[in-house]
Order: sequence, then C-alpha cells, then structure tokens
Amino acid sequence: MKVQISNGMFFALIINMIYAKAIGVTQGSMAREIGGDIWISTLIATVQGTVIMSLVIFVIRRMPEGDLIDQSERLFGKWFGKFVALITFIFFLAAFGPIMSTFIFHLKDYFLPEAPILLFICAAFLIGTYAIFFGLEVIARMALIGVFSIIALNILLMLGTLPEFDIRELRPTFQMGFIKTVWASRHHNADWAMATIMAGIILPMVGDKKSWGKMGFAGIAYGMVFVIMWPILEAGVLSPETAAQYIVSCMQMARSAQIGYFVHRYEMIMVAFFALSMLTQIMMSLLCASVAMQKILGLKDYRKVIIPTALILSTFGYWINFNKNRAVDFLEGWWVYISVGVAVVLPMMILVLGFFFKKKLKKKIVAEEAK
Amino acid sequence: MKRQASWSLLLIMILLVTGCAGKRELNELALVMAVGIDKGEGENAFKVTAQIARPADARGQTGAPSGQTGEPIYTIVGQGESLFDAIRDLSSISSRNVFWAHNQVIVISEELAKEGISQVIDFFTRNPELRMRTWIVITPEEASTLVSTVTGLELIPGEAVNKLFRYGKISTVAPNTQILDVQAAYLSQSSQPIMARVTLKEVMISNKKPEKGPTIKQVDLAGAGVFKEDRLVGILKPEETRVLMLFTEGLQSGVVTTACKDKPERTIGVELRDQMFEVTPHLKDGQISFTAQLDAYAMVVEAGCPFTIDDQKQVAELEKAIEKELKKEIDTTVDKLQKEYKTDVIELGKVFQNEYPGYWNQISDNWAEVFPTVDIKAFVNVEITDSVLLWEETNSGKKENSAD
Repeated sequence: MKVQISNGMFFALIINMIYAKAIGVTQGSMAREIGGDIWISTLIATVQGTVIMSLVIFVIRRMPEGDLIDQSERLFGKWFGKFVALITFIFFLAAFGPIMSTFIFHLKDYFLPEAPILLFICAAFLIGTYAIFFGLEVIARMALIGVFSIIALNILLMLGTLPEFDIRELRPTFQMGFIKTVWASRHHNADWAMATIMAGIILPMVGDKKSWGKMGFAGIAYGMVFVIMWPILEAGVLSPETAAQYIVSCMQMARSAQIGYFVHRYEMIMVAFFALSMLTQIMMSLLCASVAMQKILGLKDYRKVIIPTALILSTFGYWINFNKNRAVDFLEGWWVYISVGVAVVLPMMILVLGFFFKKKLKKKIVAEEAK
Repeated sequence: MKRQASWSLLLIMILLVTGCAGKRELNELALVMAVGIDKGEGENAFKVTAQIARPADARGQTGAPSGQTGEPIYTIVGQGESLFDAIRDLSSISSRNVFWAHNQVIVISEELAKEGISQVIDFFTRNPELRMRTWIVITPEEASTLVSTVTGLELIPGEAVNKLFRYGKISTVAPNTQILDVQAAYLSQSSQPIMARVTLKEVMISNKKPEKGPTIKQVDLAGAGVFKEDRLVGILKPEETRVLMLFTEGLQSGVVTTACKDKPERTIGVELRDQMFEVTPHLKDGQISFTAQLDAYAMVVEAGCPFTIDDQKQVAELEKAIEKELKKEIDTTVDKLQKEYKTDVIELGKVFQNEYPGYWNQISDNWAEVFPTVDIKAFVNVEITDSVLLWEETNSGKKENSAD
C-alpha cells in the first residue's frame, strides 16, 4: 500500500523543516548584515516563501500522483526526469551541510566541546537511516510531536527572557535601508527553500489533495509565528550587536534566559525541545535525497539506496563541518544561492514547460490512468 | 543475514546512545563560585583567583562542617600570559576538573580595568560553560583578596555576593551589572559599559571581641565604574549611581533625606515609589539636547522634626526640597559624566538614535565628541501621598520638652 500522511502531518513537517536553523543560525547571519531589523527580514522571507510554496503546490496539483521529478519525466522523458532528480539530489546534499552545521554547532559547541565531529555525523547517520527505513509516516508523526515541543520551547524562552526585553533595541527600523533588509532575507529564504522542495517530493503522499493549499499556507503561517518570536527577542534581549557576534544566536539567548533564580541555563531545555525539529530536518533531507537517488537509478524502492545516499551526505556533512570557517562560509554563501536558485527555478521551469506542453502532459496522464 | 545486520546496527547504536561522550562526574569537578582577575607578574599577564566550593564543608546552611577542614571554600591562584593560560595553571593545582558553570561573580581589579578588559569580555562570553547572567564587578582592592574574603551570611562567599546583588535593589548604591549587559554595551555603537564597584569595609563585629567594634572586613557595594570602550575612566559614588540607574535600569524606588526647614540639624526621610523617568531627545538647527523628566510619588518614612501630611503647606515645602535635591543629584552626575569622564554610559546615544536615525547616521562616528557638548535639562516632580502609619506629628506629651 502506498504510504500516505495526513494534512496535519504535512503541516507539522513544514514547521519542523524550517524551525531549527531559522531561529538561531539564520538570525545570526542576518544580524551581521542588518542588525536589529532581523525580524523584518524574517517576515519578508516568509512572504517570499509563501509565493514559492504556492507555486510548488500549483505545479504538483496538475498531476497529483507524481512529484516534481515524475512530472518532469512525463514532460520530456526519462533522461529529463533523471536530470531533475539529480538537481534534487544535489539540493539535499547541499542542504545536509547547513543542517549538520546546525546540529553540530548546537550540541558540540555548547555541550560536548570535547566530542569529535564524527560522533555527531554517526549519530545523525544512524538515527536518520533508521527512521527513513520506516518511511515518511514515522517521520511525520514525530514532526507532529515536534510542533508541541516547539510551542513549549517558545513559551519557556519567552517567560525566561521577557523581563530583560528592551524594545529600544528594535528601533529605528530599516537602519541599513530597505534594499539591504530585503537582501538579507535570502538567508531565511534558504530555510523556506528546504521546506518547499521537500513539499515538491512528498506532496503526492499527502492525503487530502483539496486542502494541500490550505495546509501549506497554514504550515507557513504557523512556521512564521513560531520563528518570528526569536529575532524579536534576540534583538531586544541580547542586542543586535550581540546576536550578530554569535554563530548560533538562539543558544546565546538560551544561555541568557532564566526563570526565577533556579531555572537558568536554558541550553539544555532548548536542545531537548528543539531536537525533534533538528532530527526532522536530518531525516527529511536523507529521505528526499534517497528518493532522488532512487529515481536517478530507476529503482522501485528508495530503501535500497538509503545507506549509499546517507554515506554520501554524511561524508559531505563531515567535510563541510570539519572547518568552522568553511561551514559558515558555505551556509551563508553557496548554500543560499543553491537553495534559493533551485527552489525558484525548478518549480518555475516545470510550471512553464507544463504550460507549453499541456496537451502532452494530459495525454500521458490519461494513458497512464487507462493502464 | 538480515537479522545479523540488525543486531550489528543495534549494538553500534547502543554504544552511541550511552551518553558517555564528554561526560564529567560531579565528584570530579571543582565548582568555581567566584573568580578574581588581577594583573599578573609579567607584562600583559593575568592572575586568576578561583574561589572553589568545598562540598563536604559547604553542606547545609548553618550546620557544622563535615569535611573536617572547617573551610567551606578553597581559593587558588593561577598565572598566565592569557586568561586561558592562567586558568590552565589552576588545573595544575586543583585536584579536580575546574568547572565554571556555577560561577556567581567575576571580580576585576581596577588596576587591570584601567588598562582594558576587552580580553576579559571576550573570554567570558566565548566560553560555553559560563552563564551570561554572572555578575561582573570592579574593585579597588586586589581581586584575589576580595574573592578569598569570607563575607555575608552564606557559607560560600560567591553566593553571598550573588545575593547582595539579587536583593540589593533596595540600596541602589551599585548597578546590577551582568556579563550580558557589559558585552552588549561594549559592542554597542552608542553606549559605554558600566560595572558595579565593590570594596572591602570593616563593618562586621567579632563575636569574640565585640568591644573592638567593627574589625572584620566584608564585601560592600560602593558605586559604579564608568568605562570608555574597555577602559575604566572613572568612578561614580553610591549617591551618583542612583542617578545612573535611573537612566539605565528604570529604577522604581529610592530614598531621599532632606534637612528640616525649621531645624536644619534634623532630617526628614522620604521613600520614592513608582518612579517614572523619561528621557526625550530634541534636535533643533543641528543642536542636540535632551530633557529628563522624573515623576515620583513619595511617602514620609521618618521625620526628625514634627511632620503631618495634613499640613499641606509643609507637604508642599517638603516636595520642593526633595525636587531640588533630586535635580541637583541628576545635574551633578550628568555633568560629571559629560565634562569629566566624557563617556555615554547613560544611553543617551541610543535614545537619540531611536528618535532621529537619519541624523544619528551623520554623527554616530563622532558621538564621543558630541556627547559632552549636548544640553541635558532635568525636571523633577514629586508628590507626597503617604505618611505610612502616622497621622499626627510625633511630639512629646510634655509641652516643655516638645520637639518643636
């Protein structure tokens, strides 16, 4: 039986897919460019993310049985399908670098400075491969719980930092100018790109096709609500200059939060609650890369390529993160251009080609349905 | 084959999920409760003094020590060309792994602070073990002396200093400076750091020799250190610190003592409550100025001369006297910061930037030169609304000995 997930699970996957990196690593990168306007840039990126997500949903709706790769194959044949699959694989390979950076920067730098990077790579490899072997439904169910832990984390952080909040740090707005603020949103766009391309792969497995759009928008809206609290608090509590100082500004805020005199050092609370979002990112990128690999090789089941795919991704993740300068340069540079480029160009290309070759696509769908 | 593979995978995972990586056992840790930083012996060298809790002797609050040493703390000194070096040096002395997560206070000697503390800020904000809410203070004493002094009611002196700040809001004689605030002010384009100042003062009377009066030194909150970038450039006295805290911490309450009108040798004490302090920037013809408005309700808590709240003329006179006193305090402190220390620790740059961002971009690089020249006018409005429990004047019943 074909795996199906509910629309609620799809909604949870979108939120988890962006949350872990967006609240800290992304905000640090943006703060280095635009200071206290990180919250405005986050909002701008969310609007852009909504447009791209709508585009992907629109494209998949034309042929709801197939993902972006299947649709490309039906448009221009097997080799074009393989080409799109290769692009998708490269996208998730590149995504695995920043995802592992987020994982390693949080755990190694703040808790286990003595532990080797390989340990985190191995842990991600084992947990990721084990989870995707059981399929999308298992990950999606975990993501649902992940949403609740995100809510718990946000509430705790808010309680622990609000007494120190200084609204003056958020003023004046657009300090670096409107253009720079929009340009800085590319860092958060890269987070939305991951959720968008993931949707392009898993949407056919989402149950109620009629409400794809509604749940997609709900996922983005709630994702925005859960994320936006962080840049506001990071600027208002830490100060924009301090947020910019750190690679993971959310952990720095967690270090500065406390409720009363006994619940301090929120790092542990933070990592415990955001772990599911982190693991969802690892699992989903491994799953989507495995599906892309399966389609490149023309296999029927992605499970056969889980190990080789995970090995390739893990090797890349290790190489990128072995040197912190390389890791940050990649996530603030190449990754942004790769992710935003693919997330915009790929669905747009399939949309335009599908528009011009509408008849061909319809014929294929009818022929396949007749079979 | 499949079963073997599954078992192998399971075994590998068991190894990974033990949580043993990077483990540190509690009984192998030397928990630092306070740290003192002085200038070291060589040029640019540091001397780090760590006050470490001796768990066996620090057990309980008032019970007899059980570790048989009678000393709840163990204080050691490390030297090095960098802070990290000096801390590494501590490891060669301590029989346990030095652990910083429970550190309550960082004490820096004024001698070192005058030469710059950017390295101290960098080290303590870079290190993941330390809390960002750790108190950071300067002292005119040797930091090592202050850190090794047993003070307060707590068994661990670091804990006593922590509580001194935590519950010291009433005294308002030193700002509540945490490493988080100092870092933010240091990194800021407009504001400059401040730090609480502590000294050792002979205020404790020995139970064995009470006739000798206060002979035992205790840690005392004593104003604030004013910085320009990372260098200590001046000291604010405790009464000046109260004004500083109005600007930086939104102080809610305070105490003012003023001389009685008819009997200047006696005083009236007033507690200010629900203070509202607002600084408004102005820009006219390229001239920057600020108005600082302090509004407060007050209650008479002590009267050395007859006072009743029913006497509205007397109340009005007292209100005026308090307003004059407070205005003088604000003017003196602001003047000192502008003319003598020339450093914006009262966040006026930030206030101006928020209101006039365009003009701020033009002057931000020269704010250090502009700040001493800006005009700051203070306005104070105090309303006495309460006289606590008493309604009538406190007068002797024997008319001939009456206070008035």
